[in-house]
Amino acid sequence: MEFNYEFDWAIPFTDPYLGMIITGIKVTLILFAATTVTSLCLGTVIAIMRISRITILRAAGTLYVEIFRNVPGLFWILFFYFVFPELLPEKWGQALNHYSHYPVVAGIMGLTVDNASYVSDILRSGRLAIPHGQREAAISTGLGRVQQYSHVLLPQMFRVTLPPLGTRMVHNFKNTSLCMAITAPELTWATQNIESLTFRGIEATSIATGFYIVLAGIMVSIIILLEKYLKIDVSSINQSSA
Amino acid sequence: MIKFIATNKWFKDRHVLKNINLEIAKGEVIVICGPSGAGKSTLIRTINKLEPIDDGEIIVDGMYLSDPKTDLTLLRAEIGMVFQHFNLYPHKSAIKNITLAPRKVRGLSKNQATDRAEKLLDKVGLIHRRDAFPVQLSGGEQQRVAIARSLAMEPKIMLFDEPTSALDPELINEVLDVMTSLAKEGMTMVVVTHEIGFAQKVADRVVFMDDGEILEEGTPPDIFVNPRHQRTKEFMSSVFHIPIFDANQEED
Repeated sequence: MEFNYEFDWAIPFTDPYLGMIITGIKVTLILFAATTVTSLCLGTVIAIMRISRITILRAAGTLYVEIFRNVPGLFWILFFYFVFPELLPEKWGQALNHYSHYPVVAGIMGLTVDNASYVSDILRSGRLAIPHGQREAAISTGLGRVQQYSHVLLPQMFRVTLPPLGTRMVHNFKNTSLCMAITAPELTWATQNIESLTFRGIEATSIATGFYIVLAGIMVSIIILLEKYLKIDVSSINQSSA
Repeated sequence: MIKFIATNKWFKDRHVLKNINLEIAKGEVIVICGPSGAGKSTLIRTINKLEPIDDGEIIVDGMYLSDPKTDLTLLRAEIGMVFQHFNLYPHKSAIKNITLAPRKVRGLSKNQATDRAEKLLDKVGLIHRRDAFPVQLSGGEQQRVAIARSLAMEPKIMLFDEPTSALDPELINEVLDVMTSLAKEGMTMVVVTHEIGFAQKVADRVVFMDDGEILEEGTPPDIFVNPRHQRTKEFMSSVFHIPIFDANQEED
């Protein structure tokens, strides 16, 4: 088969295309950083709701996970971009629609609710892995419910679930590309834009691919380092007696 | 200090504490023994309300446990508890295990809490292991840190739930030594243990439980040497294999 294509690697590096790629990288990193923080926070709250003793909180947490995990992430990104402003009072909705960075904001919201559902599920499994004696020790020294979580349970939940949480964050990083559907100028959107303007999509996409591989690789390395640094030897966690 | 009044508890339809009446005075050391499943652990865990009771009343230092207005945090801050499996926080060093509750519950500054923790680590002979993590400590060391962690709250009562049952035989004494010195200082202690030697040396009273009931209570010689109940006699001879019966027979 003849390969009838002449590469022009200079194009993505010339003005204005280089600017698009740089902006794309920036926006991708912003989407990733923001959603990492927000989805960890929201996911932690949902996880605590799901292991709460209070039935209504537990039910609400479970409902959240069932709704947001069982619908594609792309749907939530589209929802927050197209539908959400319409649900708000007209003034607010129009303000959002006219806000030039709203695609990025809607992308952050969509990615957050999607990712948080997974985060909460992972953290909940982490809570189940902590022996009952840990909480009893905390209770018996007089620590209150919030302190039990903040100083004893949550630190262990995050440590125990670091490997699956890390994988989840890499997923979330890749999912930022879905925001191209709502014209958030992230990296994938930038490559598609360059493609449509210059027909040099292969070059632009290759550069983007390289960036995704390198950045995901860095993330995985950081997670592995964190795992080593924060590792809890399982043998130190003893089962509590009945 | 601690008073059980007609206390009953059920796990579903299993009657695990049957009409418990027991009074423990300030400074007393009580050893609870009996076969497994007798309700010893459940009994000790009701004192700081890790297990709620279904019927009756427990009064601890003037606080009524069945009263919903009782401040459980205050109650638990005054009662130290040591567990069979130590339950140290694996993500915190020995010193941080000890300083957590004094700082968060008692409101001590970091320096105050650290000073207090270092004194206690010194007392249990582990000041050199100050920054070690639980995984780096032997079972005996972990249990001594756990005792220091409880003492850091300056409790009025210390509960020990089979503190040496998970330890290798040669590590048991280092924990018992700490407990013995604590008893000598006048701490009110309730100890679930199978260590008869410790009970004989340290206990003011021994409580024998079977099947959720207190069968008998008395001084260590009363229970170990001259038990009144047949069940206690069987238990002492068959489970502990203690030569004390022989010594007694020689006296006869």
